[in-house]
Amino acid sequence: MAENTDKMVIDGVELTGIWKEFLPSRILYEDVTTEFLDEVKKLPGGSTIVRCYQCGTCSGGCTLPDFVDKFNPRRFIDLVRRGHYDILVNENKDLVWKCVSCQRCTHRCPKGVNTQEVVRAIAKFLEDKKVFGKLTNDEAFDEVFMEEVIEDGRIDEVKIVKDFYSKTGRLKDMMSADQISLGFKMLTSGRIKLFGGKIKDWKKVSKRLKEEIQ
Amino acid sequence: MKTVLVIGGGVTGLKASSELAEMGYNVALVEKEDYLGGQVAKHKYYKLAPDLRLAGEVIDPVIKAVESNSNIKVYKHSHVVAVSGNAPEFKAKIKNSKGESEESFGAIVVATGFDHFDPTVKQEYGYGRFKDVVTNAEVEEMLNPNGSTKGQLKRPSDGKTPKKIAIFQCVGSRDRQVGNPYCCRVGCVVSTKQAIEIKEKYPDSEVYVYYMDMRMFGRGWEELYGKAMEDYEIIFTRGRGAEVTLKNQQLSLRAEETIMDRPIQHSVDMIILAAGMAAGEGTIDAAKVLGIKQNDYGFLSPKDDFLSPNESSKPGIFIAGADKGPMDIENCIVEGAAVAAKVAGSLKN
Repeated sequence: MAENTDKMVIDGVELTGIWKEFLPSRILYEDVTTEFLDEVKKLPGGSTIVRCYQCGTCSGGCTLPDFVDKFNPRRFIDLVRRGHYDILVNENKDLVWKCVSCQRCTHRCPKGVNTQEVVRAIAKFLEDKKVFGKLTNDEAFDEVFMEEVIEDGRIDEVKIVKDFYSKTGRLKDMMSADQISLGFKMLTSGRIKLFGGKIKDWKKVSKRLKEEIQ
Repeated sequence: MKTVLVIGGGVTGLKASSELAEMGYNVALVEKEDYLGGQVAKHKYYKLAPDLRLAGEVIDPVIKAVESNSNIKVYKHSHVVAVSGNAPEFKAKIKNSKGESEESFGAIVVATGFDHFDPTVKQEYGYGRFKDVVTNAEVEEMLNPNGSTKGQLKRPSDGKTPKKIAIFQCVGSRDRQVGNPYCCRVGCVVSTKQAIEIKEKYPDSEVYVYYMDMRMFGRGWEELYGKAMEDYEIIFTRGRGAEVTLKNQQLSLRAEETIMDRPIQHSVDMIILAAGMAAGEGTIDAAKVLGIKQNDYGFLSPKDDFLSPNESSKPGIFIAGADKGPMDIENCIVEGAAVAAKVAGSLKN
């Protein structure tokens, strides 16, 4: 924050009162650091971030700004590189993950930055910092889905629905009348099975997968 | 007295030839086109930066010095197809439409120069797809009263004078995608100069330059840049051009205004691509025929960049000018004179 003093003197005239409330400082008093750059660099796909020379080819040709205001890959890279973490989180955390991976930026980048992967890496970086707060339904479903695949090697419909509702804290909703009748219909018509089959020796693969993700 | 073979009749080759001839050496100047003057003549460069001096004022005396000197034999429309022997006894085969001849030389000067980068490969800029996207070399020819449009800037599509003109910098330079990560060293000042020329001729027009950095390191270049902004109100936008599309029959460009942190869409009548320099066809051929070292981008590598900038990797073969890398005319003339001195020194031993 700006280091405001209670008194300010301009050209020998002393300003008193609450001047700092109508003259907010525009100076960035952040401790500029490259530690975030180092972190992003180490994430998968993040290594080419160091090549960027801020020409704006990526943002200039980007598909998204027509639909998503202020989506700007060049700026994300700039903020990470200069360590403006607060601005990145406050203004851009809802933007970074909106990239649709059309790869225009990657193909055009004159410096060979893999822009799409770098933007993904920045999103992952923010995710690791736990800045997104509560999970959205999509994200919760993604997580449950991946857990199931890694644990069992296949999807058990009943289990995934149960886990999804419990993850989003809505187990009550699952027990509502229409959900139960829907579930019953699907069960009797053979759409879902109460107990999914097991995959032989999946435990080993599961262990290996977990190691790899670690 | 030994004869010197000079390959390339551009500014550098011409200057080297006339300097050597003045020192009393016999020179054979081989030029692949049927005119002298290289790229300056080919694209009819009109004015030179930063003084806006006519290119003819510079190139004509250099050509005249060669044509009027009896020590120089000029082979137009000719190629050097084979070279054998070592310094100071080379044998070179010179081929033209009339046939082949073999002659012996004491030293060889390679001054084969550059080619303008062909922006067709930068598909997003639409060169070749949209008629009104032109290169800076084409604009040079348009602005020249002896050129195709007799000095008028006209849109190739309908022959009208464009009102809004955008210039894209660094086309085919500073670009890993096309394999040219180097700076073309002249694009910035040439575009600034062309913008001024356009504004001088058509004060009602608007010129926008899309750039990444304006690299004004030459003599008087920075002053010209200031003049462009102050006196001619040319708008410089920091952001590399991203793409060109056609919207309602009008060219529309996209770029990022990096200072505003947002992309801009801009409708213009004409787009000039400041295409950079690539190693010339002649340079690549010469390297093959002579077996001298090239760098990663096809330009010729000197024996030592600092200590012997005009010597190639082979003794007795000298290199000069824009075949070593992007270079402006002013420095090409310096190089031509420098290589002449180096050749004279080597023949004395």
